[in-house]
Amino acid sequence: MLWYKAWLETKWRFVFLVGSILFVWLTPEWITATGVHSGVPAARLWMAIQLGSVFLFIFTAIFLAGSGINTQGAYTFTPGFHGSMLFTLSLPVSRRRLLFVRAGLGALLTILLIAIMAGYILHLRPEATSALQALAYFTRVIACTMAVYALSVLMACVLDEMWQFTGAFIFWTALFLVQSKFDWVARVSPLRGMSLNCYPVTAPIPWAPIVASLVFAGVLLCASVLVVQRKEY
Amino acid sequence: MNEIIIAADGLSKSYDGKPALRSLRLEVPRGSICGFLGRNGAGKTTTLKLLLGMLRRDAGSIRLFGEPIDSEASSIAARRRVGFVSEDKELYPFMTVDQTIRFTRPFFPGWRRDLEEKYLDLFQLPRKKAVPKLSKGMRTQLMLVLAMARGAELLLMDEPTGGLDPAMTEDVLQILADLAASDGTTIFFSSHQLAEVEQICDRVCIIDQGQVVIDGVLDDLKSEYRRILLVFDGTPPRELADLAGVDHLRCRGRTASLLAHGDVDGLVDRARELGPSSVEVRPVTLKELFLDHVRGE
Repeated sequence: MLWYKAWLETKWRFVFLVGSILFVWLTPEWITATGVHSGVPAARLWMAIQLGSVFLFIFTAIFLAGSGINTQGAYTFTPGFHGSMLFTLSLPVSRRRLLFVRAGLGALLTILLIAIMAGYILHLRPEATSALQALAYFTRVIACTMAVYALSVLMACVLDEMWQFTGAFIFWTALFLVQSKFDWVARVSPLRGMSLNCYPVTAPIPWAPIVASLVFAGVLLCASVLVVQRKEY
Repeated sequence: MNEIIIAADGLSKSYDGKPALRSLRLEVPRGSICGFLGRNGAGKTTTLKLLLGMLRRDAGSIRLFGEPIDSEASSIAARRRVGFVSEDKELYPFMTVDQTIRFTRPFFPGWRRDLEEKYLDLFQLPRKKAVPKLSKGMRTQLMLVLAMARGAELLLMDEPTGGLDPAMTEDVLQILADLAASDGTTIFFSSHQLAEVEQICDRVCIIDQGQVVIDGVLDDLKSEYRRILLVFDGTPPRELADLAGVDHLRCRGRTASLLAHGDVDGLVDRARELGPSSVEVRPVTLKELFLDHVRGE
């Protein structure tokens, strides 16, 4: 039943994201159909789509993350203390299981949406993409997105929803700025790892951001488990 | 001897160095209805959260159903037998009444469908209504259904009648009394409503500044404690405070009011030696017991 609860908790977010993706999908089609882009070079339009996709990947991961305990934004109730959390914790279920189920469902939905979005981006790509190239692109985008997702899961363990979203956006914006200053950060940054501008489909698989993202995600998920088990509610 | 369902000993908890509970000792036997009283911030909610494993204790021990609660596994095993109603009665805003019940039911093998139907009918809760659209009273009723239908042996309730109108409060108190009487359910609930505690509880535990100040069978406490009113010609003598058996002394003008327990007759004899012009001994109410102990006069 925890899966049922996790689905009820995330379904409207999922629907919202599907709507956002459809909007993003239909916009290029509309631009092409109406010829509005006639003055815009195709390369620039393609770059905008790629940058927009990175933003959508990040937004999807942040929006679907959760910890299973802080189910309501505390800002709508008494700060730091609200009953649905107490109701959840009074159930005969371990905190680790609460976390795993909610984070697990969020991860599955994130991967599903990311894979669909990545597929569409490859469909928009002017040149043909081989199956192997597509697989490599899916793998790295999903691996890098998991870093974003894991950070949001950790934040969901300690912050209410509003601060979880705000904190995540601040972190990734800061990383975006830092990676342009420090080369070594750029080499392992998940933001670059999921971008086709930085690593085109035809480029060799960028292992550094993939491995760094997976390690980062693993560490953060372990930290989330520790936090949830030790936290007092 | 009755089985002890809740046993806490030396329970201590502090927040940022500020003590919330100080060596709290508590025993609640099976089948009893125990009212847990105290002022705001006395440590009632902290105690309930410690019993349910939501907080970690700094010191002391907890046993529920005779088993020590010293790990998450033991807490989970105990929670299978416990129903809980939280103070602010918040449930999942993304569920309806029906979904909330369907979600909760499988966690409890002893779930009683008959009680679920009975209480849903009694409270006339609309099954399809979303939780955020319920009034606070209805949320309270839903939480009570969830707590009582799970076939729990122990109900822990933080102000269970909060938000209910007087008629519904009466119904709920009757249900709780019936549960204790017919199923042997142990009920431990915090409340600020002394009248309802007096109405259904056979035991009370009064807590103040993190410590238990009174704990016992309500009828015993009422027969053990007496109010002694002494009127003097002048200011009441200071020696009154030193008399053995005086729990609390309050002086106003020429009148001294003593809350006493134990050998009240002996105490009255000793008080007479101090020369009061009149002496009156009368039984105490729970309200008097509570106020005298938590005001600390």
